[in-house]
Amino acid sequence: MIHIAKRLIEFMLFLLLLSFISFIFIKLAPGDPVKQMLHVDEVSVTKEQIEALRDELKFNEPLYIQYWYWLKRFFEFDLGHSYITKQPVLSELLSRFPATITLTCASLIVMILISVPLGTLSALYKNKWVDHMSRLFALVGSSIPSFWLGLLFIELFAVKLGILPSMGKGTAKHIILPSLTLGIAMSAVYVRLLRSSLLEGLNEDYVKAARARGISEKRIFLFHVFRRSLIPVITIFGMSLGSLISGTVVIEVLFAYPGIGKMVVDAIIRRDYPVIQGYVLFITILIVMINIFVDICYRYLNPEIRLKGVERR
Amino acid sequence: MFRYFKSTLILLMIFMLFGCSLSSSGEEEKSQKELTLLFNFPTNTIDPQLDSNYTMVRAGVGETLVKISEKLEMEPWLAEEWESKDGQHWTFKIREGITFHNGKKVDAHAVKESLERAIKISPAVKAALKIRKMEADGQLLTIQTEEVFPQFPSELVHPYTAIIDVTEKDFDQKPIGTGPFKVSSFEPGVALKVERFDEYWDGKAKLDKATFAFNEDANARLMALQSGDADIIFRPPVENLEQLKEEKVKVESVPGLRTHQLLFNMDSPYMKDENVRKAIDTLIDRKEIVEHILNGHAVEAKGPFLTDFPFAPSYEEKKRGIEVARQYFTQAGFQVENGKLTKDGKIVQFKVLTYSSRPELPLIVQILQSKAKELGIEMTIQQVENIDEYLAANDDWDFATYSSLTAPRGDAAYFLNATYMPNGALNYANMNHPELISVINQLNKTVEVNERNKLAREAAKIIDKEMLHSFIVHPNIIVAYRDGVKNWVTSKSEYYMLTKDLDVDK
Repeated sequence: MIHIAKRLIEFMLFLLLLSFISFIFIKLAPGDPVKQMLHVDEVSVTKEQIEALRDELKFNEPLYIQYWYWLKRFFEFDLGHSYITKQPVLSELLSRFPATITLTCASLIVMILISVPLGTLSALYKNKWVDHMSRLFALVGSSIPSFWLGLLFIELFAVKLGILPSMGKGTAKHIILPSLTLGIAMSAVYVRLLRSSLLEGLNEDYVKAARARGISEKRIFLFHVFRRSLIPVITIFGMSLGSLISGTVVIEVLFAYPGIGKMVVDAIIRRDYPVIQGYVLFITILIVMINIFVDICYRYLNPEIRLKGVERR
Repeated sequence: MFRYFKSTLILLMIFMLFGCSLSSSGEEEKSQKELTLLFNFPTNTIDPQLDSNYTMVRAGVGETLVKISEKLEMEPWLAEEWESKDGQHWTFKIREGITFHNGKKVDAHAVKESLERAIKISPAVKAALKIRKMEADGQLLTIQTEEVFPQFPSELVHPYTAIIDVTEKDFDQKPIGTGPFKVSSFEPGVALKVERFDEYWDGKAKLDKATFAFNEDANARLMALQSGDADIIFRPPVENLEQLKEEKVKVESVPGLRTHQLLFNMDSPYMKDENVRKAIDTLIDRKEIVEHILNGHAVEAKGPFLTDFPFAPSYEEKKRGIEVARQYFTQAGFQVENGKLTKDGKIVQFKVLTYSSRPELPLIVQILQSKAKELGIEMTIQQVENIDEYLAANDDWDFATYSSLTAPRGDAAYFLNATYMPNGALNYANMNHPELISVINQLNKTVEVNERNKLAREAAKIIDKEMLHSFIVHPNIIVAYRDGVKNWVTSKSEYYMLTKDLDVDK
């Protein structure tokens, strides 16, 4: 119990520190949302009106005071409202989250469906044609820019074959092309990672011992080698999941499938401070949760880690 | 392990079944007249008072009191007529027989409440309208502005002032307007779906349904048109226009209300001199810019306003080229020594700002740089991320590329006030020209339209005579649409897109 409380306090302090750093960075970037709010590019306003709005929004106060105002609201569980849409930040984030999580999950399914069979086959048939093909796939997959791959898919599946929508949101068909684009780009890395991890595992002493004990190759591979080989893959996966959630802007734009990534890029361009700040906290919490999940996976995949934990207790 | 594969397969099957079921319901609806327009800027809200994309008006859901016609003149819309004797006290007569999409009558009181909400939530509307008080009586709305404000009706053209029923609170997702279409659904950043409003005051729309979708990627928009996912697309990639024409797609390219220009920093020791500004202006090869940078989809600018506007003066043809520029530089006291332009023995170097969000602007500067080099002029080009912020905060530049809507609502006062008045928000060049200020002040007090146009022309002449700005091109608005689309009009203002007359072959 004390351990959990300690971890929670640590986490809160980390959140506070991060929120302060991000607040300072955002504010140090030149510009603010005032001109956007007043639409100076189409509405005749004066410099005095710009300054008056800056005063009203307290942008002329010292940075630490501005941070204090934000922090007070944060402790009341209020992330504020977007300066541009006037919507509560939390509801903006939550409204975009389902699209992001759907795209992330669908891309992961594609990634798993490609990288697990291909990585496994290329390890089992090392230096055979499957292995060469997987190497070529990894090379091409990681070299092709995702927006270009997306355009190729649109050209093939929407324009030429006419079987999938080129863009938009709404049906399951709409998720296929964006997830295929992202999934292929991701699997290029995982195929090679899984292959090398499996090859390493296949040469371990315990595999030789298992063979000597007469355990079937199928059982050795599935329950010993494959399971253990997933650990480095899961580690990289945990790290890339965070960037996948927030960093799919190019794909979101290309397929008009807006998620959290696109929202924050727009917010940064418009200097919509409350949205940026809310996003930083939201993603931090999410990444911490992903890391906890990855830790749990470790324990399941490698009993050694679980047992060490028991020993320490 | 098999268990996980099994669950994954089941999940995939559910996905596929879901997709098939939805697509078949989509096919059933094909018998209706339906159209998809794909626009290049997405929006996250359709609240007319907050949406900088004007989606509600563009999609035919909302309407304003006054509109701007294709002849670029103001004309009545929800307001049947208006009048003011002093430019400060206004009476608007709201058209009879208009109802909101929920069936409620549109009267002066409803209009007043809608405008009050707009002023309350949008600092831009508050600044633009300058309303002191409003009174509603039946269909008559009387408005008093804070000061004499003759261009007030033109401010009511702005889509931010679209009239909505404020008693319905779902402004963000389902605003209730008065247009030929009502909102069916809205997915932020993806699409607004609308359906015909049968009780529309100006006659039923020809389309049953329409989708106003968004995609920022030009190639993706093009492919959406080719695949049939879109019927009309805005701003297709210019390099693909010829290919589109071969595919029986119609392409329209009309000059818009935007003007690309050069701002001269009046605090720069060089730019204070009128001859230097004129020399730089003559070096700009507008024809080359139109033909090679904008692929012919622009018109050369002679002044800030499109020549179609009644307040655009006629300009005399100017002599241009390197020799003319050399003469101007000589008049300004510059010399060419060892192939370099010098003044008072010092080599002259201009600092030029540009930005990439309008990709043609850096290219325009490069063309200018190559011409200037022939005269021995050194130019340092700096590309900045946010031009407005940089110009407002720094004074270390000589001239800068800029782009703005110069008369978005059919009146010259916005651009003149914002750009040339000392406290104007767009007066980045620190312009303080007493004669011009005096003309703008007169314009701000003049109500009679012809007199206003005359004053605006006078202001434009002063700007041209002293080369306070160098206006380069008016880029075109390019729209591509499929053969079956009928009655499409590419509006210069870009305010009106899905109209009651727009039609499509079934």
